[in-house]
Amino acid sequence: MKLRIERAALLKSLQHMQSVVERRNTIPILSNVLLDASGAKLALTATDLDLWMVEHVAATVEQPGGTTVPAQTLYDIVRKLPDGAEVELVTETDGRLLVRAGRSRFHLPSLDREDFPLMPDGDLPHRFNLAAADLRRLIEKTRFAISTEETRYYLTGIYLHAAKTETGTTLRAVATDGHRLARIETALPKGAAQIPGVIVPRKVVTEMYRLIEGADDDVALSLSDSKIRAEFNGAVLTSKLIDGTFPDYQRVIPSGNDKMLEVDAKAFAAAIDRVSTVSTEKSRAVKIALEKGKATLSASSAENASATEELAVGYDAASIEIGFNARYLIEILGEIDGESAEFAFADAVSPTIVRDTTDQGALYVLMPMRV
Amino acid sequence: MPIRRLPDELISRIAAGEVIERPAAAVKELVENALDAGARRIDVTLAGGGQRSLIVSDDGHGMSRAELLLAVERHATSKLPEDDLVNIRTLGFRGEALPSIGAVSRLRLQSRARGAGEAWALDVDAGAVGAPAPAAQPGGTRVEVHDLFYPVPARLKFLKNARTESGHASDAIKRLAMAHPNVAFSLVDDERTVLTLPTTLGDQSEQRLERLGRVLGRDFADNALKVAAERPGVRLSGFIGLPTLNRAGAQWQYLFVNGRPVRDRLLLGAVRGAYQDLLARDRHPMVALFLDIDPADVDVNVHPTKAEVRFRDGALVRGLIVGALRHTLAEAGHRASTTVGIATVEAARPAFFHPGGNYGGGSQPRLADAMRFQAPSGMAAGRQAGYDAPAGRPEAVAQVNGSAYPLGAARAQLHTTYVVAETADGVVIVDQHAAHERLVFERIKAALASTGVARQLLLVPEIVELGSAEADHLLARGEELAALGLVIEAFGDGAVVVREVPALLGDTDLQGLLRDLADDLAGFDQALSLHDRLSEVCATMACHSSVRAGRVLSSAEMNALLREMEATPHAGQCGHGRPTYVELKLSDIERLFGRR
Repeated sequence: MKLRIERAALLKSLQHMQSVVERRNTIPILSNVLLDASGAKLALTATDLDLWMVEHVAATVEQPGGTTVPAQTLYDIVRKLPDGAEVELVTETDGRLLVRAGRSRFHLPSLDREDFPLMPDGDLPHRFNLAAADLRRLIEKTRFAISTEETRYYLTGIYLHAAKTETGTTLRAVATDGHRLARIETALPKGAAQIPGVIVPRKVVTEMYRLIEGADDDVALSLSDSKIRAEFNGAVLTSKLIDGTFPDYQRVIPSGNDKMLEVDAKAFAAAIDRVSTVSTEKSRAVKIALEKGKATLSASSAENASATEELAVGYDAASIEIGFNARYLIEILGEIDGESAEFAFADAVSPTIVRDTTDQGALYVLMPMRV
Repeated sequence: MPIRRLPDELISRIAAGEVIERPAAAVKELVENALDAGARRIDVTLAGGGQRSLIVSDDGHGMSRAELLLAVERHATSKLPEDDLVNIRTLGFRGEALPSIGAVSRLRLQSRARGAGEAWALDVDAGAVGAPAPAAQPGGTRVEVHDLFYPVPARLKFLKNARTESGHASDAIKRLAMAHPNVAFSLVDDERTVLTLPTTLGDQSEQRLERLGRVLGRDFADNALKVAAERPGVRLSGFIGLPTLNRAGAQWQYLFVNGRPVRDRLLLGAVRGAYQDLLARDRHPMVALFLDIDPADVDVNVHPTKAEVRFRDGALVRGLIVGALRHTLAEAGHRASTTVGIATVEAARPAFFHPGGNYGGGSQPRLADAMRFQAPSGMAAGRQAGYDAPAGRPEAVAQVNGSAYPLGAARAQLHTTYVVAETADGVVIVDQHAAHERLVFERIKAALASTGVARQLLLVPEIVELGSAEADHLLARGEELAALGLVIEAFGDGAVVVREVPALLGDTDLQGLLRDLADDLAGFDQALSLHDRLSEVCATMACHSSVRAGRVLSSAEMNALLREMEATPHAGQCGHGRPTYVELKLSDIERLFGRR
């Protein structure tokens, strides 16, 4: 293999590769990136055996061929090369890879490309296109609620599915950790009506998000019961899905909450953050007392510190007092893009609904705390 | 094959198998008999681990000729005078020991009843009872058991080697000896005297401490705290070790109910609960506790060897033990075990002697021991040299009178990690991080206790499948769990649904937590896992908000740390039972320098 390639293009692709590669591996070749040059392209592949990332980058190939080298090291080298450099990659007779740019030369050990694990075959029958911006929104506004508790593996991803609503079918992303829930929907893309409900693992969500960062084009998504593939700008990400059943989330979204509060999301979040400063417990609890036109936030600590703050709010229902984990509230309010957030309460021990007044496709549910 | 009635000998052997499962069991039964006979001195002699022969002789009230004959019959006993199984005040009562031993060995009984002019002997060979013959025997009874288990080769095959078996026998004797400090014991194993416990003097608790020191070692006696508590109908007394005196196994926990050694889960669980968050999970305290309870309130007839007992009011007993132990430990406050200080001195000693020492090889501890006795005259020159070359002057600190406080006045900080303080009779070295971490931990725990555990309601309730017994256990203690922040409800047969969780645990493994809790409740009758997890979070928070090693402390800060340690319960050890400070007594230091 012998080729020349632009540093910037190689770096961008290697960035995707090294983030797929796990830091510690018991199988040495999983630390490596597979390089394969043919035609006018260099194909890079990285995997952790659940997720495969393949990316094609334009290159001047003088001699086709391939090898595998440590992904992290190659990434670090290319990262430190000067801007605008041209990188030359050559396999040497002793099996090592020569990396040359300007007056720098590096020799990297390689492992036989024949040993690099192949992506399992499989048909992905459902295929549809989604604007990168829409996919980004689905991920951005749900991923904070993904559970990190591995024993409830079926909550450690985003549940992606087509849902029927009064106004028609939509594409929905749902995530919950059992304490709060985020449900974001977008117009159903063509070809997605029949897709199975799938749970996309956290790592795939992260990699997918990284891939489409700042882009506007369409992403092609393909699905089967057990796999997902995202194709975007010459990169293909294929992964296994979480094999489990996502709980029937609709049952926990209350429909009868009638105490409505409308509040400036940013001001509310800032006030909660201020008030919760005094609480020293791990779970920073904040109490919200609502009466007509006014919300009083309060927090206290066992060491006798306390704080209160009053806000003028749009509230017209019966007085209520309810406690929440301040971090959960702030995280949800952080996802509100519009000016104001709309809260719907029932009582102090029932789920509360939070909506973005300018985005009817976003809905959050938060369980209160007993304080 | 038709059903038939088993011959009597076989029945006896089967019964013997339950009571006498190894030589140590025979020793235990015979020593208990001797104690029940009011003996003041009991001598035990073993050969071949007790299998070849074991002899127990006492100076108790003895038996007459007729009693001898009755003694070897099954279900014959002198110990249930009113046929009342409720009011048992003796160690034995089942009337099984002697006939059981007789059924599986060659047994010889020799006894002279108190006041009688003659002694009688009786032989039993594998259950066949001979005729009583006159014998020579001073007052009391002598029981000889030879060739134990020879009629039951299967049992013989499963005996461990003689060493192990005599170890077990010695254990059994030690247990009984702890409960009866006013009786002298001796044990001779293959002609080697392994245990001599003379009668002790003083009041009951002095006697006990003296006996416990002899049985469990000096360490225990030096680091024991006296426990005394009483509730109507129950009295708890005894001694417990400081948390810094801990062991890897729970076998150093001796529990006695009405003088009877038991290994009861309820009692062991209570001890564990009392020492919780003073010790790491895999470390165990040393305790010797004596529970005196109205015999009507306890059932000892649960287990053939009486190792387990059942209480009419288990919760009362548990509460008494946990409460009394916690109180005692809290009162001990910052006291750390002196073993730590002594170990420090012992560790320093060989290193100290090394430069001038002329010994080569050999075991260091023994040499150190030898030096202790040789040192005074030989070391005078070295001592002088020490005076001539004073080490660096300690930092001048604000005048705090060291003798006024148990932990003394801070004199210096070493390596920005250790605080050195001078007390009235020694030197205290404090690990500043460990000590401060403990103080913060206690503060956080107190805060948690005062405000209650905040509970996060679950949006998606978690269903946990357990066995129906486990689920019932958990649900029965629902209120207690709710106070700790965990709210559960029944969910069909053998499952529970978790509605609320302690908010500070965050997104946690509830399945695992509930399973552990069910095990805890079944095993120890306490929700240890939940306590543990809450403590863990508190400990992490404490660790992050305490003074680290490497931080320079002013003398005012150091003194404040010492004063707070004195005022805080359990300040003598960190959450894992490691000491937060060591105290070197002046006498220890003098020994180091050969002044003693």
